[in-house]
Amino acid sequence: MESIINFVNSFRWQDILDIAINSYILFRLYVLFKGTNAFRIMLGIAFLWFFQEIANYLGLVVTSWLFQGFTAAAAIIIIVIFRHEIRTVFQTRNLKSILWGMPRRKESTSIELLSEVVFELASTRTGALVVFQGKEDLSEIVGDGIPWQGLISREMIKTIFWENNPVHDGAILIDGNRVRLVGCILPLSHRKDLPIYFGTRHRAAVGLAEVSDSLTIVVSEERGKVTVVKGNEINQVEQPSHLTRLLNDFEKKEESSPEKFYRKERFNMAAAAVFSIFIISAMWASFTRSMDTLITLEVPIRYLNRQPDMIIVETSANMVRLYLSGSGTLIRSVRPEQAQVSLDLKDAVVGKNHFPLIPDNISLPPGINLNRIDPPAVEVVLDNPMEKELPIQVNWVGELSKDLNLSQVKLHPQTILLQSRGMLLNNMETVYTEPVSLDNIHKSGKVIVGLKLSSALKIAKDQKEKIKVQYIVQKKFQGENAK
Amino acid sequence: MSLTIGRSLLLILFMLHVSVLSGIGNENDSSKKPSSHTLKLVQAVMCEDVKNQQPINPTLALSVSIGKAICFSSFESVTEKTYVVHKWIRKDVSVTKEKLFLQPPRWATFSRIHLREIDKGPWRVEISDSDGNILQILRFSITD
Repeated sequence: MESIINFVNSFRWQDILDIAINSYILFRLYVLFKGTNAFRIMLGIAFLWFFQEIANYLGLVVTSWLFQGFTAAAAIIIIVIFRHEIRTVFQTRNLKSILWGMPRRKESTSIELLSEVVFELASTRTGALVVFQGKEDLSEIVGDGIPWQGLISREMIKTIFWENNPVHDGAILIDGNRVRLVGCILPLSHRKDLPIYFGTRHRAAVGLAEVSDSLTIVVSEERGKVTVVKGNEINQVEQPSHLTRLLNDFEKKEESSPEKFYRKERFNMAAAAVFSIFIISAMWASFTRSMDTLITLEVPIRYLNRQPDMIIVETSANMVRLYLSGSGTLIRSVRPEQAQVSLDLKDAVVGKNHFPLIPDNISLPPGINLNRIDPPAVEVVLDNPMEKELPIQVNWVGELSKDLNLSQVKLHPQTILLQSRGMLLNNMETVYTEPVSLDNIHKSGKVIVGLKLSSALKIAKDQKEKIKVQYIVQKKFQGENAK
Repeated sequence: MSLTIGRSLLLILFMLHVSVLSGIGNENDSSKKPSSHTLKLVQAVMCEDVKNQQPINPTLALSVSIGKAICFSSFESVTEKTYVVHKWIRKDVSVTKEKLFLQPPRWATFSRIHLREIDKGPWRVEISDSDGNILQILRFSITD
């Protein structure tokens, strides 16, 4: 009981939103793809995933690994093989229909009108191929057809099959009271027992009947005859009334009364919604509520909002170690770049700043808990860049001849303008040259020498980097008191 | 009369000597700030020794083998008892500071440090008056 209360108390509003969003997405996928082949394969993938989890739970290493492979491969296959079906689902609907639309009752086909038109085409020996979709989706079979979406009318049907129309040789797909596709290429039958007078249209109708539950009307161009193909049945029809009866029989098989249809649809939708919530909740629980796993991540610190006139001179740490916990699934999926440590330098001052690292400084993926931060605080030294003019001094080394005396030195220039951070320059009072040896100096002369500067110091623009040193050496006073 | 002429000649010679010596060491900062007591520095040199109130071998490179370094300074307009400070600095780090009293008619004084091997490198001595005004900075090196 206590564990249930703890479980409920640990729910965050984000968790509920998370489950709700994903449940709705799953539900919408069901609504959009219901009845398609892609949906059946998606169900297969869901079962594969379910069995993989079971195998994983039971510790069946190879089985789990195989199912994992199958699931990944099937996910790719479904996109490649059923791309036409998926495209049709999204192309034939607007955004509102994709997000909110519910399945509507199929509009009834104008069967009498169609029957009359078909026989009018037959009387003028105009070839035609008219396909009525059954329960099976035909998108994958006739996916290359041209979208039409026109309401059925006598003139339009005749126009489509008019011999000068570029699409007159293909089949049309009837969906409700609309012509959904025209110019469809149907698969041809390879049966050997078909009558000799059956042309390509008949073979196409038989071929489609072999791979689907559709009904196809064929109007022969040569003989002016109307044939209906459904499953293994090939019936020649002589009268429009006969055709009307056959079509009515086919439509009745597909449709039920409006009340029954809506009642059944409501039940299906409710069941799908409940199932979606159940599936997503189970997935969410498996992701977030499994055994706690601990990991440690080394994450760089990002310093934000530094004032433009300040520079970061030194930090006590550039990386922090985050001790994280969470479900094994989530922890395994955490990448170091998903964890971020940020320090706001908005209120930082010149000199040493002490920043305790608190959870507000840490950004983690949802569902990951922060247990500890090491180090718990960071010292950041900030400084202002500045310029300072400093006198130059020669750094004499070596040994001057015992009888000589370095009596005078002139420098050109005598000072140098340096750029660096304030705290460094404020502590400097002199710039020294590179060592200048006295060993080889025997008379007055000059030497060009560079300055010895640390990498943090920069000579200002237009300042010379080399210094001319003019020196005068004289004979030492060798009086009795001189050393 | 002859005594007066002799004193005058001695004074002229002294002034000439001072003007020659003060030209030595142009590496040294020559900007001098007037003291509140109008103390005027007329000579400041690094030297190897001081004899008879005079610096011996003024130089800008003192060998550690000499064993000592001396900063000699002389003033005029010393009208009352005052003091100057010699601050010895090695590579921007203060090493020692000596307070040297000037008492009329005393006009010259010096400070010294003993040299060791570790003292090699660039040095400077800041000469300042009792108000802390830097009168001159002498820059030199302790060498082999």
